[in-house]
Amino acid sequence: MIKTIDLHKSYDKLEVLKGIDLDIHPGEVVVLVGVSGSGKSTLLRCLNFLEVAETGTITIDGRPIDRKKDDLSKVRAEVGMVFQHFNLFPHKSVLENIMEAPLIVKNENKAKAKQLALDLLEKVGLSDKADVYPSKLSGGQKQRVAIARALAMEPKALLFDEPTSALDPELVGEVLQVMKELADEGMTMVVVTHEMKFAKEVADRIIMLDEGRIIEDADPDTFFNHSTNERTKQFLEMVNV
Amino acid sequence: MPEIFIRLYDVFMSTYEGFLKAVLITLEITAIAVVLGTVFGIIFALMKISRSKILQTIANLYITIIRGTPLIVQIMFLYFGITSIVVLSNFWAGAIALGIHNGAYIAEIFRGAIQGIDRGQREASLALGMNRTQTMRRIVFPQALRRAIPPLGNQFIITLKDSSLVYLIGVSELFGRANRAAASNFMQFETFLVVGMYYLVLVLIFTWLLKLYENKLNVDGS
Ligand SMILES: Nc1ncnc2c1ncn2[C@@H]1O[C@H](COP(=O)(O)OP(=O)(O)OP(=O)(O)O)[C@@H](O)[C@H]1O
Ligand SMILES: [Mg+2]
Repeated sequence: MIKTIDLHKSYDKLEVLKGIDLDIHPGEVVVLVGVSGSGKSTLLRCLNFLEVAETGTITIDGRPIDRKKDDLSKVRAEVGMVFQHFNLFPHKSVLENIMEAPLIVKNENKAKAKQLALDLLEKVGLSDKADVYPSKLSGGQKQRVAIARALAMEPKALLFDEPTSALDPELVGEVLQVMKELADEGMTMVVVTHEMKFAKEVADRIIMLDEGRIIEDADPDTFFNHSTNERTKQFLEMVNV
Repeated sequence: MPEIFIRLYDVFMSTYEGFLKAVLITLEITAIAVVLGTVFGIIFALMKISRSKILQTIANLYITIIRGTPLIVQIMFLYFGITSIVVLSNFWAGAIALGIHNGAYIAEIFRGAIQGIDRGQREASLALGMNRTQTMRRIVFPQALRRAIPPLGNQFIITLKDSSLVYLIGVSELFGRANRAAASNFMQFETFLVVGMYYLVLVLIFTWLLKLYENKLNVDGS
């Protein structure tokens, strides 16, 4: 579904990604872990071209993307993203937030876009909030709307960058629950998170990033219980599992 | 002491009919200048934050020249410049000159407002598949506009006062009217005091309206 070969990305002199080879299969849930600054966000952002990697190839659904020639908006429309700070549009109601991209990008007709938005709101358990503005929502509700908004584009894959890190502890569960349901439905997902319980229960694979390189790529059992990598062990001790 | 009040009263009573008409002209010229300035301002703000070096340079040049020269020079220059090319009333020449002048300041207002929008907004929009133009038009600009309204209101107040300078090209707005009244009634001190009060009252009204709007923004949140 998403494949990268030898991806390199630098900010000025600082090389953040030092050759990433990644192969994410359809329906797979990959959890990306690593210490702060290891390049997790940068990698996610390269996958939907919010950042442009200097070298290396990215293939989406079997199609290599040419960063210069291809319309990157079209690529982004196929790979959704959920942000740590939700980034809902404050000047639009919940329903308008969700309808915006289908209306503008896909030229969907209004009735259809609205029906889809209402269905998605029901899916994330927020049917009663359709006409509310984002400022009136709790963090957990905001993030669930953000997930519905990303789903409205019917993306082939969803990227999550620490979707629960900005939430009060008691609101984390409701967001993870929605993500778990998506995973069960077969959505392809790449998730950066510090929620190790989620990683254990939901991930098909766990990838550990360290100083811009992938140093571990294993199923959850191997990762948590049988890793021989020193950095991984240190990391697991630090997040205390 | 009471004498001055009597004279002020006389001046007020003998001028208010003309002055009130002139207030309308002042408000018209101000409104036109701010609307024109907003159009120019948005265009030049977008040029300034565009990725094109040429557009950036043009915008910078415009802003630097306008901000670096006196308004009175700009009015004279544009008045003689414009009217030598097309036939235009003094009123419109003055309004356009003020509009061009305002554009430079309003461009900076919009640039600041646009750049003040959290970059997460832009990223979320791009991540949904919207292109740069759609993102600006639908997501960033509407939010920037709300933020720009208080400083735009301020600019309106500044323009209201600046508009007095167009009396120099013969527009009969409030100050021009006062100037003529003073020359004929020989009570310069009293006349200019009265016209000063007119400007003060207008400015206070707009300041108050602006406050109302800002309070409403605060109540709405974000
Ligand atoms: N826009 C940028 N400009 C310059 N340097 C950046 C930029 N974004 C990230 N970096 C740097 O790149 C490195 C990797 O950052 P990144 O955000 O990808 O790490 P991360 O693994 O997501 O960390 P965290 O867990 O703190 O979110 C860091 O050293 C960071 O300072
Ligand atoms: Mg990060």
